[in-house]
Amino acid sequence: MSVLRFEGVWKAYPDWSRQPRTLRGIFTRRVPVLSGSKRPKRWALRDITLDLAPGGTLGVIGHNGAGKSTFLRLAAGLGRPTRGHVAVHPDTATVLNLGSSFDMQLTGQENALTAALVAGMTRQEALKRLPSMLDFAELDEFVEYPVRTYSEGMKLRLAFGVVAALQPRLLILDEVLAVGDLAFRQKCEDRIAELRDGGTSLVLASHALEEITTTCEQVAWLHRGDLRAIGDVESVVEEYENASIEATYERTPVGSARGENGLRLRENRFGSQEMTVEAVAIHGRSPGGPIRTGDPLRISATILAKDDAINDPIVVVSLRRAGDQAVIFDLSTRADGFTLGRTVHSADIMLSIDRLDLPAGDYAMDIGVFEAAWEHAYDYHWQTYPLRVEGPVGGSGLLVPEHRWSIEESGLDRPAE
Amino acid sequence: MTVSSSMDIAKGPAALTPVPRRSRRHLADLVLHLVRRELASAHRNTLLGWAWPLTRQLAQLAVLVFLFSHVLRLHIQDYPVFVFAGLIVFTWFQAALIASAYSVVSNAHFVTNPKFPTIALPLVAVAVPFFDVLMALPVLLVLLAVAGRLGDTALLLPPLIAVQFAFTAGVALLTSAANVYLRDVQNVVVVLLLLLFYMTPIFYGLKNVPPQFHWVLRANPLTAFVNADRAVLFEGHLPAAVDLAILTGSTIVALAIGLAVFRRLQPGFVDEL
Repeated sequence: MSVLRFEGVWKAYPDWSRQPRTLRGIFTRRVPVLSGSKRPKRWALRDITLDLAPGGTLGVIGHNGAGKSTFLRLAAGLGRPTRGHVAVHPDTATVLNLGSSFDMQLTGQENALTAALVAGMTRQEALKRLPSMLDFAELDEFVEYPVRTYSEGMKLRLAFGVVAALQPRLLILDEVLAVGDLAFRQKCEDRIAELRDGGTSLVLASHALEEITTTCEQVAWLHRGDLRAIGDVESVVEEYENASIEATYERTPVGSARGENGLRLRENRFGSQEMTVEAVAIHGRSPGGPIRTGDPLRISATILAKDDAINDPIVVVSLRRAGDQAVIFDLSTRADGFTLGRTVHSADIMLSIDRLDLPAGDYAMDIGVFEAAWEHAYDYHWQTYPLRVEGPVGGSGLLVPEHRWSIEESGLDRPAE
Repeated sequence: MTVSSSMDIAKGPAALTPVPRRSRRHLADLVLHLVRRELASAHRNTLLGWAWPLTRQLAQLAVLVFLFSHVLRLHIQDYPVFVFAGLIVFTWFQAALIASAYSVVSNAHFVTNPKFPTIALPLVAVAVPFFDVLMALPVLLVLLAVAGRLGDTALLLPPLIAVQFAFTAGVALLTSAANVYLRDVQNVVVVLLLLLFYMTPIFYGLKNVPPQFHWVLRANPLTAFVNADRAVLFEGHLPAAVDLAILTGSTIVALAIGLAVFRRLQPGFVDEL
């Protein structure tokens, strides 16, 4: 018994289905004699076999074009595999196209009703759950307004409000949660966790490895249509990250002279250099000087595309302790749901940390900019930016939190019986 | 109606398959809702709202009446009512077929939903212009009454309309599915409808046509529908047996072919959209 099973599934889109068909196209493309060429099939998925048990959670990772969308469609029971066999639980819901069916002229309430019916509810069921959907979406009086007056965030909230009212046995999600404000994202994640605890199986495709790690037990890694790895989340994500490091190293041009900040390619600077990180500065008490335990810290940098603008790059900043290399923090724009833009040519970035309770010592900061699917780094400055912290020595701990000691008066010297 | 053909219920967890009665309920709810939604969306923010479809038909009626009772005289009694009865039949069919051709391709966001019964889309395409019929019927009935032609046989109109609904749905299933694979279908439909308008006795009667050309009109099943509607409304007698035979026969054929083609092509829709 399983909720989703792929048995040796291959999927190719026929050559002639790439553009809208017309009579002329049919004759030239469908009849190979006329077009004079018979191109081999391009497989979007190759020989995928997997099985998801009820209550299981499967993350799907892979670069753009790895076949994730094709996989999700088949997993939703949409379309036919070219070879092999797909079995999907009949009670499956997707959010592959969240909100795309909204009618802009109609009100939020009317659209929610449509979405609920389209997702499989009868009118009676939909009307019963309508208040909870609208409540979840937090639209207040806007439910009576036409959707064309909504912001993107409001549309998303309305769409997810409908999904939240469903209780499918299998829920298929395609990184919809990457958008929206943080508080609402949290609410959606809570609802997904609730569904999962209630026995709903989950298939989640995402570029955000953090999201996969917190939500999924199993991970499938698709690479150019192949199932490169499947297994428990820790091992597959680690394998994926290692591959990213390798890909980064392979793409790093052979180094030349030492540049700004003592950076040298293949030594402490890695990445394809299609986009670079420039003018990195740490702002403490004084520029470049030491900070004290509990001080705020700001880090600024400029990212700059070499030629073409880059799609949705991810900026990462991490800090390690000198010596044992213990990781103090490892922050990324992706994990925080912060988007630099769909296409970025250049941007000045500032990371502000309100207080940093580090023990005295020496630290070094890494900064990097990554491809949208973590495929490889564009530019990564490794252990390049030193940071000295002055203040109390923290023992062997990583933190010196703001603290005080005291003795509680009552109950301490009660005599023993 | 299977929601997804790639789903193998025999091998999958069959026990939790939704019961068919619930699916039918859902399909009916969905069609009604989408029709309501489309009508609401079409008429929102317009001053005349619901009156627009009727206005369109009356304008066309006015042109035809002026042309054929003042310019080219056809000598048919109560000509406006005569034309209107035929026009309603044809306009419905025309609007339904054009909408059906686009119904699946322009609603990809619905089709890519695992629980959405795609068959709802061509049905909606037929049902939405049916609303125009419902708006025009009272006007037609008043005109008939004024002309003193409204009789008992008008009670046969609802079943005739039901049969036309089924016939149109059958053709709509075919065009909606075919257009997914071959986008020329939407253009072919428009051209064929243009020819069909003149091949249907709307602004003239079968009697006005020389007998050697009757087969041309008979090749068009809509002729039987127009004749039957006129018989019960305008002429006050039962429809001719030949018309009844043609309209039932073509409805059965259209539904059988439409359903078979739609079921056959439907699993591939998502890959084409």
